[in-house]
Amino acid sequence: MTRMLALFPLLLLSGCSDKHYWLFDPKGPIASAELHYMILDVLVMLVVIIPVTALTIWVLWRYRAAAQARHEPGWAHSNVLEFVVWGVPLVIVAILGYYSYVGIHAVNPYGPEVLAKKSVVETTRQGIAPLEVDVISTDWQWLFVYPKLHIASANELVVPTHVPVHFRLTSTTVTNNFFIPQLVGQIYAMPGMRTKQAMIADHTGEYHGLAATLSGPGFSWMDFKVKALNEQQFGQWVAGVKGAKAQLTYAAFDKFAQPTVNTSGKSVYFANVQPGLFKHVIQEVKAGKVYPTPYAFTENMQAPEFTERTN
Amino acid sequence: MLVNLQGPWDPIFGRLGLILQYQYNNPVIFFAFELSLVGGAIALFWLTCAGKWRTLWSDWLTTVDHKKIGVMYIIVGLVMLFRGFFDAVMIRTQQAMAVGASSPGFMGAAHGYLPPYHLDQVFTAHGMIMILLAVTPILVGIMNIVVPLQIGARDMAYPYLNALGLWLTVSAAALVMISLFVGDFSHAGWVGLIPLTELPYSPGVGVDYWIWSIQIGSVGTTLGAVNLIATIIKMRAPGMTWGRVPVFSWTTLATNIIALTSFPVLGVTLALLTFDRYLGTHFFTASLGGDLMMYTNLFWIWGHPEVYFVVLPAFGMISEIVPTFSQKTLFGYVTMVVASMAIAAVSWSVWLHHFFTMGAGPNVNAYFSIATMLVGIPTGVKVFNWLFTMYRGRLRFDTPMLWAIGTIFLLISGGMTGMMLAVPAINYIVHNSVFVIAHFHNMFLLVAYAAFAGVTFWFPKVFGFKLDERLGKRFFWSFTLGSIMVFIPMYILGFMGMTRRLDYISHPAWYPLILAELVGVGFYAVSVFFFLAQVVVSIRNRHDLRVGADAWGTSRSLEWGTHSPVPFYNFAVTPMVHARDEWAWRRENKLDSLKPDHYVDIHMPKNTMVPLILGMLSLVLGFALIWRIWWLAGLSFLAIIVAIVVRSFEKDTGYIIPAAEVAAMEQDYLDRAREVESAGEKVGGGAVGGGVPAASRAPWNKLKGD
Repeated sequence: MTRMLALFPLLLLSGCSDKHYWLFDPKGPIASAELHYMILDVLVMLVVIIPVTALTIWVLWRYRAAAQARHEPGWAHSNVLEFVVWGVPLVIVAILGYYSYVGIHAVNPYGPEVLAKKSVVETTRQGIAPLEVDVISTDWQWLFVYPKLHIASANELVVPTHVPVHFRLTSTTVTNNFFIPQLVGQIYAMPGMRTKQAMIADHTGEYHGLAATLSGPGFSWMDFKVKALNEQQFGQWVAGVKGAKAQLTYAAFDKFAQPTVNTSGKSVYFANVQPGLFKHVIQEVKAGKVYPTPYAFTENMQAPEFTERTN
Repeated sequence: MLVNLQGPWDPIFGRLGLILQYQYNNPVIFFAFELSLVGGAIALFWLTCAGKWRTLWSDWLTTVDHKKIGVMYIIVGLVMLFRGFFDAVMIRTQQAMAVGASSPGFMGAAHGYLPPYHLDQVFTAHGMIMILLAVTPILVGIMNIVVPLQIGARDMAYPYLNALGLWLTVSAAALVMISLFVGDFSHAGWVGLIPLTELPYSPGVGVDYWIWSIQIGSVGTTLGAVNLIATIIKMRAPGMTWGRVPVFSWTTLATNIIALTSFPVLGVTLALLTFDRYLGTHFFTASLGGDLMMYTNLFWIWGHPEVYFVVLPAFGMISEIVPTFSQKTLFGYVTMVVASMAIAAVSWSVWLHHFFTMGAGPNVNAYFSIATMLVGIPTGVKVFNWLFTMYRGRLRFDTPMLWAIGTIFLLISGGMTGMMLAVPAINYIVHNSVFVIAHFHNMFLLVAYAAFAGVTFWFPKVFGFKLDERLGKRFFWSFTLGSIMVFIPMYILGFMGMTRRLDYISHPAWYPLILAELVGVGFYAVSVFFFLAQVVVSIRNRHDLRVGADAWGTSRSLEWGTHSPVPFYNFAVTPMVHARDEWAWRRENKLDSLKPDHYVDIHMPKNTMVPLILGMLSLVLGFALIWRIWWLAGLSFLAIIVAIVVRSFEKDTGYIIPAAEVAAMEQDYLDRAREVESAGEKVGGGAVGGGVPAASRAPWNKLKGD
């Protein structure tokens, strides 16, 4: 059984190409650090897992009844072994505990030490201020507001490469979870509250953003695109969005935030975002604003009532 | 009404009007409804034709016998396990059908056949059922059966309370089943993701079904915990000092201390949520001073100890089974006891690892990370000790031992992935992915494996015959293939970034592995068949499969020192305990006769129908509260109070079996034992009896004794 356990992953892995293993293919320093600690943890654990598994199989084989091996029915205590059985896990836990402590500070969403590392700072564009992005999750879309640029983009996050991106996150309704597997780990976006996250994208390209916590019936369609562009392309994109027709006032946001299932994966761009939208959303939620889910909203997704509320 | 309800409300029928307004016409549900109608009709018909109503009433429904209550717990657990499996089949088939934008949709779904509202209910029910109504009742059932026997007690400390715990669990299970046909179930995950469970986001009755079934069931579990703790502390046979209590009873004590201290937290948390939903308070809302993360904290302050609540008895069972089939004493008894208690103690300080991604500061996360890893120390110790128990043993691979070995391997792999999840830097990329799902299924499978081991191991003790070994092994291997094929692809999908609870799969790269999981589900379905076949064949061949007191021939603890099947009074005379492995000690010293010098009167508790009535009344109360039928809720609550008060004036709750009658019953058991012995079966712990071995499938017949 154990032999099969060991072989199965290899069989399954061989059939697919590497690019789909997002966790093994990081594109930024945070995700790289997270993968680093995963490999470290697994290696330390294997130091004990492999011998124990091997020993178990050996014991099962060696002391099967038919083998008529040495039988000591009364042997039930040994001070040396007691010391070993408590000592080995203790040492492993001590090592992993140390790495866990270092690791959490390295990727701490509120100020990752990784981003302050010399090697990372060197590749970051010199003298550039971090890009600020306010993330607001609704039922069931993501809105990315660029407060300094007065633009916003729904269901599509566009960032420049080699620039630190600082996120502030909140939600209009229920708890959501902001996750870009190849760039940065998960952080909750919670209604009436503000959390933070930070990252840098090292390579241009398109990545997948996921809503990682169940937030109701429209949740499966809450993926968002992440585009990392070079400096020039990012400038062009910003200029393009600034020319968009849609405006985002508080009233327009209220309409945007009504329960909507993004079944077609549509991105929407807004120019002229009313200043202070992020703070406004938090204050409204704290004061009792809700966006109720209509009863049995997605019980029948082919009904006209559903089509009206989808993108 | 203090809150704004969507949909109608009526003073007589409450919210039942919702059923008329919204359509619940999914053919899947209709099929389930038909099935239960037909099943129920067949059961009623059989009961009436066979004239079993009286037996059912006096032997089962009103019983306070801890063994029968345990058996009923296990039956409820197995039925709910099947229901939970069916939910799993639906989740797996939906995900396999709803891949990519071009996948077709049926029955109101855009893709696949389950629209989001329906799938969300299915996986919520799956999680809640598997944890609280399948695994927990099976474990409580085994504890109920085994613990009083292991410590040499007549029954539980509070037989009436024991029956009440059972019927409350049954009524919780019944509520969940009713939600299948009347209304809907929660769509907010089994943990009740907040504020998704608040009224604006869950306007139906689903969350209320979830709340009240957990509330009623957890009262039952708490009462059971009181009972088991009192039993172990106060009812041990003379000579059974703490140093001689079998490890399974020790883990039962540890686990019920957890239950007694953690289930009330769950009760209070859900009560506060109930106030939010019924009275319009703001304990856990995002607005008006509510604190939604407080719910998450409180829930996991119960939720994490609950994990150890199910894992510790599993460890206990393995610690009984491995020595029996290794023909050897358990290695490191004291260490095992200390490790169990240590796990119970640490279980209280790890809850935050369920939401490292909440955004707590790095030092808070580091604290909970290291606390979580500490659990790995006593757990690792247990694996080593089982290993050293088998070392220099003489291993026999009967079905219970196969399940036990499976448990050990699952613990090794689950421990590995658990140590990964305990590190926040790793947790950030696998939290809420299917990697977590694979990990905790790995751990719950371990409990399920141990439970199957326990059921197979103690089955002959309760019923007097063994389960068929050949079919049992097929059940084991098909179940194991299912586990491998479902959960290894799931671990890998976690590395591909797949998140949990998806109704629609937008990344076709995940498709091949999702199909592989479907193959695993197929193996599980085959294993269900083998399990049922095993039960049916064993019952049919029960005469050939008969066993004496020491069913496995090398058993070690006190429960094997009375007849199989166990008389309702457990032991003819209260046993005197001399050693840690009492039965092994008696066997080795040739003191294994089951005939005492003389018989004495036995005091036994009387049957009572009050627990059954209380269970049914709490079912009515739960239903009325869910549908907000206030008059019915008031009436049933009043009836519950009246029933409790009336029962408390009942003084004549026990009766005496005269010694002569005991002697006559014992003679029957001894005759049966002699009959089994002359057929070649072992009785007691002595040498194999004369005559021709009737059951050649009993492998220990071929082995030499120690």
